[in-house]
Amino acid sequence: MSQDIRSIYGRYNTPPETPREEMWDAIVARIREEGAPADNEVSLEAARARRRWPAARGWAAAAAVLVVGIALGRATAPAPTGTADATGAVADARAADAVARPTPTALDFAAFQHLGRSESLLAMVRADARQGRIDPAVAPWARSLLMETRLLLDVRRGGDPTLDGLLAELELVLSQIVGVTETGADEGRRRTELDLTVGGMDQREVLTRIRAVIPAGMSSE
Amino acid sequence: MSTDADLVERAKAGDERAFRALYDRTVDRVFRLAYRMAGDGDLARDFTQETFVRAYQRLEQFRGESAFSTWVHSIAISVTLNGLRKSARHRDRERTLDEAHAVPSSAREPEPGLWGRIEAAVDGLPDIYRTVFVMHDVEGYSHGEIAASLGVAEGTSKARLFRARSKLREVLGAAMEEYA
Repeated sequence: MSQDIRSIYGRYNTPPETPREEMWDAIVARIREEGAPADNEVSLEAARARRRWPAARGWAAAAAVLVVGIALGRATAPAPTGTADATGAVADARAADAVARPTPTALDFAAFQHLGRSESLLAMVRADARQGRIDPAVAPWARSLLMETRLLLDVRRGGDPTLDGLLAELELVLSQIVGVTETGADEGRRRTELDLTVGGMDQREVLTRIRAVIPAGMSSE
Repeated sequence: MSTDADLVERAKAGDERAFRALYDRTVDRVFRLAYRMAGDGDLARDFTQETFVRAYQRLEQFRGESAFSTWVHSIAISVTLNGLRKSARHRDRERTLDEAHAVPSSAREPEPGLWGRIEAAVDGLPDIYRTVFVMHDVEGYSHGEIAASLGVAEGTSKARLFRARSKLREVLGAAMEEYA
């Protein structure tokens, strides 16, 4: 390429002088602020301990999720309303409550449990990405969760749109994670793809939304 | 004068001055690249800061298989491209809002000059081509440096540059003739 052309393109977004000291101060402040182990590292370690999930059990696990979900749904379903003694303010309150908070279906419970397990994986992948690595055990675990997600999406057609939307987001993120873990690309490319995946996940606040939707006590196995 | 390897070892042991020395050796090129890619001082500062924070946090993983500056550049490119995607989404949202509130005008926008067309053409390149183009043709990196920073083969870097230049020629061909 001729020097003339380079000098023309050299005007493209001409940078000003580097604000070295200003940036250094900000970097030091960030490092000191983030230097202490983050609170979530503890739960990430716990997640790391739970990460072994043999892929071969994927379909069996998915079926088990559904069975557990159905069982939970039956066990927690509200008693039939409209009985003779359900009168007055109490009955009104129950009726109002039933209208305000629709009872989760069995498949919702299955979805909550599934989201709880997925949250562990996503938190771990995000922590790994910060360290610029990805654990090989993530691949079969993510594949298994992806399969379950698709199964749930199939059987839940027409369910709660918020939950279904979240499952669809989860499917996208999991398929990206599976893609990153199974790519034959070199380490640098893989890290870039991992960063992009986690960046997209954070951008869409997938983890936050999962945590917000899961009822207390169902966030992990 | 200490080598990068010495400084990295000292920085790993917690020597802030050693990390500052590494920063001083690499920050100009990182900032220039971030600015060239972002075209915005605030974004370039954010991307550069994020790059060095991540470099510090991942220093333990740096094993000296490549030059420290190459390693930092690979982080910088990842941070910059990710950051630009996020800011592009924000910009698109803002633009949609602005367009929604814009008062229709029959006045014709002035035609951009040659330089405006060049800038727009480079801006319009897909990220994978623009990165290589900016690094090579604008900032003067070698294909070896680009390949190491992007984690691709040198041939890939050359092919991407070829594609970038072809696309620019396609877009700018007519404009260049006008000004010839």
